[in-house]
Amino acid sequence: MSGQARKKRIRGRTGEQIKSWLIMLPGLILMTFFVWEPLIESVRMSLYKTRNVELVRFIGLDNFISVVGKDDFMQALMNTFSYTFWSLVLGFLLPMILALLIGETRRGKGFFRTAVYLPNMLPGLAVIILWSAFFSGEKSGVLNILLGRLGMPQQTYLTRTEWVIPIIILIATWKGAGATALIYMAGMAGVSPELYEAAAIDGATVWKRIIHILLPAIRKLAGTLLILQIISVFQIMYEPMVLTKGGPDNASLSLMQLMWQYAFGGSMNYGKASAVAVIVTLILLVMTAIYSYFNRRESDWD
Amino acid sequence: MKSVQRTGVIREYDMHSASVKAGYGFILLCCALMVVLAVFPLIWVVLAGFKDLKEFMSSTSLLPESFSAEPFITTWNQLGISQNYLNSLIFVVGSVICALIFNGLLGYGIGILKPKGHLAVKRLVMISLLMPTTISIVPLFMNIQNLHLGNSFLPLWLSYGANAMYVILFVQFFESLPGSIIEASRIDGCSQLQIFFRIVLPLSKPICAVIAIFAVNAAWSDFLLPYLVLRGGQLQTVMVRLFVFSTEQTVNADTMMRSVVFSMIPPIVLFFIFQKQLTENAVSVGIKG
Repeated sequence: MSGQARKKRIRGRTGEQIKSWLIMLPGLILMTFFVWEPLIESVRMSLYKTRNVELVRFIGLDNFISVVGKDDFMQALMNTFSYTFWSLVLGFLLPMILALLIGETRRGKGFFRTAVYLPNMLPGLAVIILWSAFFSGEKSGVLNILLGRLGMPQQTYLTRTEWVIPIIILIATWKGAGATALIYMAGMAGVSPELYEAAAIDGATVWKRIIHILLPAIRKLAGTLLILQIISVFQIMYEPMVLTKGGPDNASLSLMQLMWQYAFGGSMNYGKASAVAVIVTLILLVMTAIYSYFNRRESDWD
Repeated sequence: MKSVQRTGVIREYDMHSASVKAGYGFILLCCALMVVLAVFPLIWVVLAGFKDLKEFMSSTSLLPESFSAEPFITTWNQLGISQNYLNSLIFVVGSVICALIFNGLLGYGIGILKPKGHLAVKRLVMISLLMPTTISIVPLFMNIQNLHLGNSFLPLWLSYGANAMYVILFVQFFESLPGSIIEASRIDGCSQLQIFFRIVLPLSKPICAVIAIFAVNAAWSDFLLPYLVLRGGQLQTVMVRLFVFSTEQTVNADTMMRSVVFSMIPPIVLFFIFQKQLTENAVSVGIKG
């Protein structure tokens, strides 16, 4: 190949490369503006004293010290872990059970799948407001009406410190469990029916088949979904914001809600809000590292 | 012809056992209960919408006294929901267009063009999948203000052009396309953009449809960033309006329930039209998001 031709080919290739990057550029700019830069910026802002949208001066870790030193931070941190705990108790096994039940039905499977997925399509905000009427402590609250029918006394719900977090998780589970169940169903459908047939011929009962064939088949999937669930519950924010405003007495205040309050709750303290965001990000990063560890072992993507 | 073997742990042969039969009955009962639990709140909120404030606050009956549509019409007109619906529509349409074009082009670069360094971009996108936007909503809002883009749909539309999940769905789909078609059109002298619009996009209708459906629903339900950008202005969407009602408690409980009904109608319609695509693709979308 002559030098001229090779040069031309290389130049051609470089041209292609540049054009390829130009095609990706709009997307990259948007990702930078909406995702990457704000992440970095929140770290920078957390180290500055801010006034409105201005960075006034560098103050090191003062924002962090001041934020962490307040009682509401410790309360919010504890609450956020409490949300995570309750979401594991109420929301982790349920989708798996739903998937197992629907997977066993011989008729109407499509109908059941559709029905459990429906709540997931509804706007989260509307769902929260809708359920607030169910958990109203008035006599017109839907649960109180139902309790009354059963001859039981009325209750209060969201004003009880020990009930408020489980109730919020219950609502979130109502919305999300069906969608997660569909993921489990896909995982369960991957098990070859011949395995069950063979086990049945060998005399394994239905329970034994579930424990020895089905559960091992979805173990890895469950691990991944567990981490994803923890990551997403850890950022719970608008649910308590709308339902209880963090009350009663900060009993349902979450970390992200605290961040929102610092930024948009009147004081416009973006520096302190960013400090809270950075703390949450750090905790999430640890969880993400765990997730990608699982994910790398599991998927051949990338 | 061989019939497709039925999936599931319980086999045909088990159904002869009385205990398994009873267990199967129990499973059906649970599934029926599940359907009731999923649907009852929706039916209730519509029923509650028929009640006026006095009835809503004092009645201990689940059924309304009358089924007149008047309360819904009054609330709709009083709150001027038509305008909010129109705003939501504009917001949703722009968001879907941005979601398809910008994420599609980025996915095309990563999945098909693969220039030097595309792997780094792919990794960055993968990582951002797990870093949600709410974390950085404060600096993002400051950036938008600094560019004087407040009270405008533009930043909201564009925010849908920066969705890591959509990019990855595109990449996965593009990588499954036969390379020979793209190679052939390249030899025919098509430019990269021509290949994208004439070859790749027409082949990608299924994934575009899925992303469009999910983007419609996401944009319709979105309210945090839209609230910050649009608050106080004329462009408020239905969800922004609902969020304002809920935080400022400016409307009565019965009006609130009717607003909830209004906000749920489009997603439910969307759901019934596209339930097949939605339930089939919930897996890929759910596990990545």
